[in-house]
Amino acid sequence: MKIGILVLEGPYQHEAADSAYHFAQAALARGHEISGIFLYTDGVNNANGYIKPPGERNIATRFSGLAAQGIPVVACTACARFRGFRPDMVAEHVRLGGLGALADYLRQSDRFVTFGD
Amino acid sequence: MGNTVAVLMRKAPYGSVYTAEGYRSMMGIGVFEMDLSVVFVDDGVYALVKDQNPAALEQKPLGDGFPMLKDFGVTRFYVHRGSLEERGLAPESLVMDVELLDDAGVAAVLASSGIVLPF
Repeated sequence: MKIGILVLEGPYQHEAADSAYHFAQAALARGHEISGIFLYTDGVNNANGYIKPPGERNIATRFSGLAAQGIPVVACTACARFRGFRPDMVAEHVRLGGLGALADYLRQSDRFVTFGD
Repeated sequence: MGNTVAVLMRKAPYGSVYTAEGYRSMMGIGVFEMDLSVVFVDDGVYALVKDQNPAALEQKPLGDGFPMLKDFGVTRFYVHRGSLEERGLAPESLVMDVELLDDAGVAAVLASSGIVLPF
């Protein structure tokens, strides 16, 4: 099954970004395909390549890792601007993109799951 | 794949980014000619109230934008009648004509949509 994922919350404050990652891992382990992960609103902060949490899980690296496996991980360009993101801050393999990417994942997915409050 | 999408508007405008971003997502998704419904429930119904003036919050009014979404192909607007009544709002106080739904009606719209995007 093709599954799309939307993340509406940033890292560490709540569990949404962690849940999205674990959900993606579990889906892949079951043989499902992830059509794309769209990081929207505060969710773009999960793709900040400068995240360096001492002794803790690195949420940005997690999303980078998924993107490195060929899963499209796109952070909303406009949301990134609103949050002071420079293009060179984006975590490896993650792309900045517009709502067209979200529309694509909505169109391509058999199931679509949102993580946020 | 012809997925149908319901955008579920749950939150009051201005207190969080969700109303504004839900609106932008409707524009963004609508322009790609997806089959889109919009459902307003709970405090989300406040988004459609006429004559909003959030100047004191240094924000832009959101209500007047919704009728313009038809230019982006977004034409199906549903409002949960009970949420309006609980808040003392009449359909005439909204910025546009909408279809009022009871609980079962909201459930049916969500169930018939392939994807629900909650804001």
